Amino acid sequence: MKFKVTEVENISTVFLDGEIDMDVADNVREVVFPLIDSGKEVHLNLKGVQYMDSSGISVLVESNQRAKQKNTKVELKEVSQPVEKVLAMARKFL
Amino acid sequence: MSTEVSDSTNLSEKKDFLVRSSSLKDVRSFSREVFEKFKINEDLREELVLAIAEAAQNIVKHAYKDYPDTQDRMAVRISCTDKELEISFFDKGKPVEKSKVKHRAIDDVKPGGLGTFFIQEIMDSIKFKEGDKPWINNLVLTKKL
Repeated sequence: MKFKVTEVENISTVFLDGEIDMDVADNVREVVFPLIDSGKEVHLNLKGVQYMDSSGISVLVESNQRAKQKNTKVELKEVSQPVEKVLAMARKFL
Repeated sequence: MSTEVSDSTNLSEKKDFLVRSSSLKDVRSFSREVFEKFKINEDLREELVLAIAEAAQNIVKHAYKDYPDTQDRMAVRISCTDKELEISFFDKGKPVEKSKVKHRAIDDVKPGGLGTFFIQEIMDSIKFKEGDKPWINNLVLTKKL
């Protein structure tokens, strides 16, 4: 899993690339959580993510919860087709 | 990877992996390779890979919860007939308590619950069995083709 972060004003955009599973979920947390904790709005670009499992969904949910606690927000900006399929399945869990 | 049976109506491939999260990528690669070999419908392949990876993840997270540095291995067997796909998992971890295998509410974001939900959504049946020696647990997932 690779990542790149760009900053425009108070918005940090995290571009994630590769496969997100249990093995790399903590790496994603280590990138995203400090940005949220600094009070920035965080945009996640998942266009380059070819595979994501429940661990990746958990990171998204945790990020959203954390952002609410910090009075900021996390938004998904671009999502690959494989990730969209997993998100659709996860939404049934809501 | 070993081919157990290979004829026109019944195909089977089996491979074992070290029980740890870094093996999950290898489990997915094995699964994709087998589904291509078995000519499984492309639309179905990635869903099946997700179900397999979630089941393998559950072994790492739950059956070996207290043994992160284990040297034990888990095995995955994918068998296919014209009508059905059967995926079996074998491990030597803590015996599965069937009553505790359920998904949780979304606010309780532990991956195991959502992973089990994914498996239930994708597969047609889920059966937990006692494994034949040397295995302790044997999970069998099936999907009609």
